Amino acid sequence: MIEIKNLKKVYNGVTVVDVPHLEIRKGESVGLVGNNGAGKTTLFRMILDLIRPDSGQVLSNGEVVAGHENWKSYTASYLDEGFLIDYLTPEEYLYFIGGLHQQSRAQVDETLAKLGDFFNDEILNRGKYIRDLSKGNQCKVGVASCLLQNPQLLMLDEPFANIDPSTQFRLKNMLKEVNRNQGVTSIVSSHDLNHITDVCDRILLMEKGIIIKDIATGSSTLNELEDYFGVGQTVASVKIDEEENH
Amino acid sequence: MISTFIRHELKAFWRSKNTGKSVAIRVVMGILILYLLINVLIVGFLLDKILEGVFPNEDLVKSFCGIILIYFLFDLLMRLQLQELPTLRVQPYLHLPIKRNSLVRYLALSAVLSMFNLWPFILFLPFVFKIVVTDLGILVSLAFVAAIIGLTVFNNYLALYIKRRSNLNGWIFLMAAAVLILITTCDFKWHLYSLRDISYSFFGQLTKTPALAVIPFALGVVMYYFNFLYLKRNLYLEELTAHKVKIYKSSTDIPFLSRFGAVGDLVANEIKLVLRNKRSRSSLIMGLFFMFYGLIFYTNSHYGEGFKVFVGMFMTGIFIINYGQFMFSWQASHFDGLLVGKISFTDFLKAKYLLFTVVSTVAFLLTTPYVYFGWRVLMIHFIMYLWNIGINTTMVLFFANRNFKRIDLSKGASFNWEGVGATQLLLSFPLILAPYLIYGPFAIFKHPDIGLALLAAIAIIFILTRTFWIKQLEADFNTKRYQIAEGFRNK
Repeated sequence: MIEIKNLKKVYNGVTVVDVPHLEIRKGESVGLVGNNGAGKTTLFRMILDLIRPDSGQVLSNGEVVAGHENWKSYTASYLDEGFLIDYLTPEEYLYFIGGLHQQSRAQVDETLAKLGDFFNDEILNRGKYIRDLSKGNQCKVGVASCLLQNPQLLMLDEPFANIDPSTQFRLKNMLKEVNRNQGVTSIVSSHDLNHITDVCDRILLMEKGIIIKDIATGSSTLNELEDYFGVGQTVASVKIDEEENH
Repeated sequence: MISTFIRHELKAFWRSKNTGKSVAIRVVMGILILYLLINVLIVGFLLDKILEGVFPNEDLVKSFCGIILIYFLFDLLMRLQLQELPTLRVQPYLHLPIKRNSLVRYLALSAVLSMFNLWPFILFLPFVFKIVVTDLGILVSLAFVAAIIGLTVFNNYLALYIKRRSNLNGWIFLMAAAVLILITTCDFKWHLYSLRDISYSFFGQLTKTPALAVIPFALGVVMYYFNFLYLKRNLYLEELTAHKVKIYKSSTDIPFLSRFGAVGDLVANEIKLVLRNKRSRSSLIMGLFFMFYGLIFYTNSHYGEGFKVFVGMFMTGIFIINYGQFMFSWQASHFDGLLVGKISFTDFLKAKYLLFTVVSTVAFLLTTPYVYFGWRVLMIHFIMYLWNIGINTTMVLFFANRNFKRIDLSKGASFNWEGVGATQLLLSFPLILAPYLIYGPFAIFKHPDIGLALLAAIAIIFILTRTFWIKQLEADFNTKRYQIAEGFRNK
């Protein structure tokens, strides 16, 4: 689905992304983790042809992303509020996105009806422009617009960050569902290690622009990641955590 | 504490995006403000001559006394329209251990730092020092100064108070505006009373008993205190923000555009952009005011036909110039979304052409009453309308590809320099010069008809070859897209 070759991006002499080779196969669900500044968003943006790489290229379905537009018809993404047209109402925006994919309003309504739980009555018919919604609700609109596009490739940047716990669980189930039942390839980044190991069957760990770990999710993955991120933490605190889990 | 606030405020000013980063913009901004100040200063210095001209049979001081109150009435109207509320900036301090009183005092005091408070002094003080001092002595002129200070402060806080109240209830603003308009029309239209007489009856007394200056001064102090108390009682975020009362925002359709498919959808979105955001809306409203441009030039016979070309271009194409010069910055906040979405740039450009064509057509229809000044005027308007949708649109879009500055749509338009860069300055030259380069030579050699015909012919050629220009613009855009997107991401 996605192939990355020698991709490199340098800002002011600092290498923010350096991926010599990466392949993401069709139907995979990939989780991207890493501390702030690890280069996750920059990598996303280069896959979406929003930033020009200093060297290397990204191929989507065998075609270079830069300068081509075919990938747009099967790729849906939500990185931040900058993807939403904030002076529209959520309905107007979703109809607009549906219209770009030749969907009638009735078809859009049908898809949205299935998202009723996810929206939790906070999105549709509220009489607000998207700019007046909270960040979490904006995220819901962004995710809904992605699902509306029936994508083959779904890319979400920190979708769990601003949404409430119920919505987090619903989103997790939705991501699993589209991946398993519809075979959607997904790339999701998150700081929540529990969620990401739950949803994704492959985890990429980035540090200072480099993918330092590429692991298939197993029972030990969460511990492995916690070990990496819990730098300098004493063993004792881990033990207390375990007790709390019981 | 106050001094810390002031330091932060200064930093906020110099580091804000509106101030403009490049030196060139600061220089231009400085020159413009200076020019404005000097203009008012000149009016101030010539006030005695102006008053003599307008009221030739009256005593100078008497006519001066007559206009003061009228000035402050209009000043209040202007403030209600344009003065910004110095508010949201307290947000980061509200939760810190800082006394409410000092916060409120700072908020209330910093409101004095407004350009509006400068005008009355520049306008009136020269007169006071030139005429009043020599005619009536130092004491009276000091009384005048005190009264002017008092009224300025009073106006300042009254305007802010009304604005703050109307943030919570939109009707208050309308009521205040209605009352002000009623007061003025009662005088100028219905002649129920004379504001000049009222103004004179007070300031005339002031010349005899200078102590009366205490009254306006006290009014100012009372209004300040009133504001202070109101702020203190309402120091909550939702009441401070400059947002209007939330009303139900409904989804709307523009059926006429749906027949254009994806392009029509994009135009519908952009029309919503224009109507639902402050700054873009004011550029449209500005355009409506330009419809009266013709009245200035056509009623005066010594402007030649060359002016009609110019005026015709502005009236039918002001939106293209005014709104188009900031393209695609208007969409900066969601430009990433547009790039990633299933939108081909050809459609994106077609939508811009369609938008410009629709708005220009409406503008042209609005100018048809100018047929009163002869059919030839209408013909020139039509030719310039073709010129606008043929050449100016393409020119504006060519420069749009070179514009990398973000605009925050929610900010107002007055004195907002965000998004202004060299592109806008460069753009104005070809826009204004191009029609003259073609029409001018023929007009000079007494063949204006050929010049006009040539303008029309070129415009029509451009309209017919639109697809070609769209391709060129698209190729051009693809070389700059990363730079544009990058610039728009920079908040």
